[in-house]
Parts: sequence; C-alpha cells; structure tokens
Amino acid sequence: MNRCYFFLSLLFLAALPETAFAHGASIQYRETSAIAITANYDDGKPMANAQVVIYAPSDRATPWLKGTTDEGGNFTFVPDSDPKNVGNWDIKVRQAGHGDITSIPVTGGKLVADVSETNSSSVGSDYTTAQKVVMAATGIWGFVGTALFFSRSKSAK
Amino acid sequence: MKKVSAITLGMALSSVFLSSCTQGNSSQTVAATRNSGTLALVANGEDFVRQGFVSKDGWSIKFDRVYLNVSDVTAYQMESSFEPNQGDTLENVKYSNKVSFLDTVKTIDLAAGETNAEPILVEQTEAPVGFYNAIAWKLTTIAGKTIGLQGQATKEGQIINFNLGFNRPVEYLCGEFVGDDRKGIVEPDQTGQLETTLHFDHVFGDSQTAADDALNQDALGFQPLADLASGDRLKLDETSLSAKLSPENYQKLTNALVGLGHVGEGHCQVVSN
Repeated sequence: MNRCYFFLSLLFLAALPETAFAHGASIQYRETSAIAITANYDDGKPMANAQVVIYAPSDRATPWLKGTTDEGGNFTFVPDSDPKNVGNWDIKVRQAGHGDITSIPVTGGKLVADVSETNSSSVGSDYTTAQKVVMAATGIWGFVGTALFFSRSKSAK
Repeated sequence: MKKVSAITLGMALSSVFLSSCTQGNSSQTVAATRNSGTLALVANGEDFVRQGFVSKDGWSIKFDRVYLNVSDVTAYQMESSFEPNQGDTLENVKYSNKVSFLDTVKTIDLAAGETNAEPILVEQTEAPVGFYNAIAWKLTTIAGKTIGLQGQATKEGQIINFNLGFNRPVEYLCGEFVGDDRKGIVEPDQTGQLETTLHFDHVFGDSQTAADDALNQDALGFQPLADLASGDRLKLDETSLSAKLSPENYQKLTNALVGLGHVGEGHCQVVSN
C-alpha cells in the first residue's frame, strides 16, 4: 500500500504543468579552455576589425566559426571537445588585401604544446605494433578465460 | 577434455576476432591507394591585370599581355599551416605528401580572356586526396625573360605603348592560399585548385592606396619608366632597364618584381633569386 501511495505521488508530481515555472531564469556555468589570438600587420599594427574564419580538424573546407577581431586585433573562441576535432584548428585572418593562416593544435578542448602528442591520442588509427600485440593478447585471453570459466563452473557441479 | 574444448573454442573465436581486424586494415589500405583526384595550378593577375589600374603616380595602365614563365611546381600536404615567412622550412615542418609537376617551363598569359575571365590554368596532374597547403614554384628565364608586359599607359592625354621584359628568376615557397575560399583540397575523382597570385600593384603602386602606405612607398610607379619612352613607345629589357634607371629606381623595380609572387593575400618566401 505504501508503495502504491509512493508511485501515485510520483505520478502526481510528474503531471504538474511546467508553464507555472516559465518566468524563471537560471545561469549555468562551467570552466573551459579558450583560445585567444592576436593578429598584427608586419609593421606591428593590430589588424583591427579584421575578418576571422576558423576551421575545425574534422572539416577543413567548411568554416566552423566566423567573427571579427576587436580594435586590438584580438579574437577569442572555445574549440569544442568533439573527438573528431582533435588536431589542428586553422585560423584565417584577413583585412584590406592582407591575410594569414595559422594552425593551433588542440585536443580535448585544450591547447597542446606538441602536435605529435595530439596525433598519438587520436582514436581509431595508426596503432603501433606493440599496441596491436597487447590488444590481440587481451582479446585472446578474454575469450579463453571466459570459456575456461564456464567450463570450470559446469565441471564443479 | 572439456577444458581442451573450452580452450579450443576460445582460440577459434580469437582467430575470428583477429582476422576481422586484419581484413579491415587491408580494406582501408586498398581504399586509400585508390583515392586520388586532380590537382590544378592556376595563376592570377587579379583585377590589376584584367581591368587595369591607376599607378601611384597617376598613370592609367592597361595590359594586353602579361607573360610569365613558370616551372618546377611542387605542392605539399603539411601537417599544420606552413608559414615560411615565420621561419617554417621544408626541413622543420613535416609533410605527409608532395606532388611535383611542370618540370619544363611553361609560358602563360595572365591577361588572356575577357575582363572577368577565370585565373589561367598553368598545369594539372593526378594527385592523392588530401589538403595541399603549401606550394613551391619558379619563374624561369626563356629568351632572356621571366616576365613580359605589353600594354598602354595613359596620363593627362599622353599615351605610351609599352613592351617591357624583365629577367628576374625567382623560386618561391608559399603557404596556404589566403582568400574567400579554401583551396588545395583534393577529393576522390575531384579537382582541387592551387593558385599563385601576382600582385602587379607592387611594381607600379596603386592610386587607391594611401601614398604613405608601404605598398606605394616601395613601388617604382610608372613615371620613371615613362621618362625613358621614345615618343609614344617604350620598349626595354632587363639590360636596358638596369642601364637607364637610376640605381635607386632599379633596386625598387628589382625588389618589386621579386616580391610579385603571392598565394592570394598570403605572402611567399623567396628561396632564391
């Protein structure tokens, strides 16, 4: 009976209309890593209000983000942590017939110091021979061990 | 006996597991070697060549012919952006692939076609798929010239028909094309395009740019050449230019010619000249 009351209570709470709380507001936050760039001309002057185009590693042909630098030639963005976007993020800045492109290595939404480190952490490709041997041995032991386990339990009975 | 059967079953399943992995890698390798497309190199003189422009010293310049002698093109797939002007070299930046073509000199005319014609196709070749974000190429001498300009310059009623031949062999090393679109992406059975861009406003300056801008400060302009004309004709080659221009103007001209090569708005490094 107590269980019945419990589930009835749950059902009642779930049925409450949400519109009664629509006028509220909430703020959520999380700490994340941003990439800040500064673009200058060769004479050191900032590329103020310059066009910025950012390409993610997963699609180098399609702009991932477009924006404009500020008066100091600065622009900030947060690369996403999608595993497909581990690698070099390409940043293009252009203004008045001048432009440049640079690559920034990023993994897991964080800047890395070494591109080779980024490449070694990518998933699904270029395993070393040692890694393949370990993976194979693990797989073999998994099957053999499972078969032995079930064989042992049957014989014990 | 049951243990032996269990172990045998485990080994059999393991064999199936490993063989499927091996076949998958092989199929990926086969697929990779079949993936190729076409890589095309175009040359672009931009509106300066196609539509003409007004030099920094007020001469309205229109080109009938703009000849370039191009050779030894190599396109690279770099692991990251290649910035030779920031110190990147072919030795310190790894590339996963490179394609070399145009080992014989080819003469192209940047002014060919209508006013709104596309950039001029220099050469194209089959190439592995991927993103080619660096390029090396040369301007090579043929018949005493690397560049030939033919056209007409006009100022305040004065008309000069010019035929100029420059002999400045140059080897450029450039990063990725900088422009509206991204170039150099070759997909299976598709054509990816690379572009060399020649900025002739660096030679003559541009009235649309501020006089104190570095472009105009460094450019020769057209007036020093107009001063060498015989009536309405101006025909000079590298030898006569070096003899008749002042040392300062000849150096300006030389520097401007060497600095012609770009990749869109991106700068190139001069490897040799």
